[in-house]
Amino acid sequence: MIYVENLRKEFKKTIKEPGIKGSLKSFFKPKKEIIAAVKDISFEVNEGEILGFIGPNGAGKSTVIKMLTGILSPTSGSCSINGKNPQKDRKQYVKEIGVVFGQRTQLWWDLPLTETYTVLKEIYEVDDSRFKKRMEFLNEVLELDGFIKSPVRTLSLGQRMRADIAASLLHSPKVLFLDEPTIGLDVVVKDSIRKAIAKINAEENTTVILTTHDLEDIETLSKRIVMIDKGSKVFDGKIADLKEKYGQMRELAFVSSDENALDILSYAEKFGLEGDDLFAESDGASFKVRFNSSIVPVSDMLSYTLSKINVKDINVKDADIEEIIRRLYKEGVQNG
Amino acid sequence: MGKKLRIYLPFVNAGLQEVSTYRANWIFYILGDIMACFVSFFVWEAVFISTGGETFMGFARSDMVVYIFMSFLTGQIIGSGGTYDIGEEVKDGSIAMRMIKPISYNSTFLFQEIGNKIMEIGIIFVPLVAGVEIYRFAVTGSLKFDILRFLLYLVCCVFAYAINFCFNICFGFTAFIFKNLWGSNMLKNTIVGFLSGSIIPIAFLPGVLKDILTYLPFSSLSYTPVMVYMGMYSGWEMLFFIGLQIFWAIIFWCLSKVIWKCVIKRLSIQGG
Ligand SMILES: Nc1ncnc2c1ncn2[C@@H]1O[C@H](COP(=O)(O)OP(=O)(O)O)[C@@H](O)[C@H]1O
Ligand SMILES: [Mg+2]
Repeated sequence: MIYVENLRKEFKKTIKEPGIKGSLKSFFKPKKEIIAAVKDISFEVNEGEILGFIGPNGAGKSTVIKMLTGILSPTSGSCSINGKNPQKDRKQYVKEIGVVFGQRTQLWWDLPLTETYTVLKEIYEVDDSRFKKRMEFLNEVLELDGFIKSPVRTLSLGQRMRADIAASLLHSPKVLFLDEPTIGLDVVVKDSIRKAIAKINAEENTTVILTTHDLEDIETLSKRIVMIDKGSKVFDGKIADLKEKYGQMRELAFVSSDENALDILSYAEKFGLEGDDLFAESDGASFKVRFNSSIVPVSDMLSYTLSKINVKDINVKDADIEEIIRRLYKEGVQNG
Repeated sequence: MGKKLRIYLPFVNAGLQEVSTYRANWIFYILGDIMACFVSFFVWEAVFISTGGETFMGFARSDMVVYIFMSFLTGQIIGSGGTYDIGEEVKDGSIAMRMIKPISYNSTFLFQEIGNKIMEIGIIFVPLVAGVEIYRFAVTGSLKFDILRFLLYLVCCVFAYAINFCFNICFGFTAFIFKNLWGSNMLKNTIVGFLSGSIIPIAFLPGVLKDILTYLPFSSLSYTPVMVYMGMYSGWEMLFFIGLQIFWAIIFWCLSKVIWKCVIKRLSIQGG
């Protein structure tokens, strides 16, 4: 469905030196620097799949999406979506895709929201009956009813995002690109947006590429992720594999009657854990410890703790992906 | 073609509604411009008085008033914000939102602008033309309004707008290269204002400059329509200058296509 091969994008940047002298200098003799925002990235996405595209800020996620949606030309490499080259015949190509950039809007700022949909209806040549059905469906999934008559500029961020996603789906695209669709939203809205994406994917088998640095988006929506850092791919696979490969961190939370439990336990000395492999934190009656279970088995940690202090309650947390990513990023920094 | 136009009709509509949203704002701009016309009127009055004649280089005193106000009206009719809009959209990256739609980038601008214009010109057109003609009647004592010349004027305005639109699109696309366009846009407006004759009639300029400006595309923008309206051209001259307008319109239309093709490869969309 989507094939990306050795995609690369370089930007020319003029470097400005500080101060008036620097400004003058860069005006007459600009210093140019070429930075590679995306370095030879390849991956594939199957039809109906939701791919989570993750990476820290500045990793190059948006740049990849811009190339896949045909608004940027790659410096080298190629991509093909549904057998089409986004850069070749832009007008035909974009009929088949839906795009949302979380930090922008495609809605008509000064007009009531409905007007945007009427405009899109004409642009995508959706006929009346199809349009009516589609709006009903989108209304139901994204709950637009409450604000569909209001001017877009009066919408809250969460409403605007829902409206934007609806706009990208009006023409029933085969592929949906979402660049940070949950950025800046509160938990409830995030959740409703995730549900909507999942529902659309399930009902219409829409292929979705979703970039985010909110890992919960990924965990609830996609089975597979591609992770990039500094323009290069660092992981491509199932979230389960990622957890297995990097997910040795476990978290145990205890409720104890001992006040200074952590001092009594002194995990670091006992197990010789240091750095990223151990993290312990206490707040009064409860404390938690996060540790690398490939060095210290969970059972050892448990039995040691139980033998030393008086434990009222225990909670064992699964490897959480946020932790994995944190470690991966760190590795990336160290290796890079 | 009919179907194609239908796609862009919503843009006309949206353009119309945009104006109604910001109407108060726009009226202040227009009032400011009309004040400027009066300033210009008094300056020319002074010129006529100091030269001590009723005519100055072929223009009667009453002609000058017609010239000033019709230049203003023509400027409103043919005005195009393409340069500014493209510049802004490139600067903040929102051009991306137009590019993800199966529509022609230029056409969306065109039709949105036509929407703006219908509203704006609808408000000022009749009062201005009527005002000018009443003034002429009062001063000269005879009705100078000629329906044929008036219709030709409208035709000239259409071509002038086509030239200006394409020219501005071409200029705006340089935004892709220079990224920040604001400074150069101000400069451009002033220069074009002069070259098009909307500040000083081209006929008033000295020999060579006059000849050059007559054939440059800018005179097609404002000077040609206004001169046609005023009846300063003979039949053949009119045909020639309208032909020249068509020539420039075609040139700039082709140029805008070529520039767009080049520029799309160099486009770098800024921002998340
Ligand atoms: N138009 C541009 N011009 C110059 N540099 C850019 C441009 N767009 C992005 N970059 C740079 O490319 C890198 C990747 O940016 P981006 O793709 O937006 O990252 P992400 O979306 O993962 O946060 C950043 O270092 C950014 O500064
Ligand atoms: Mg981004």
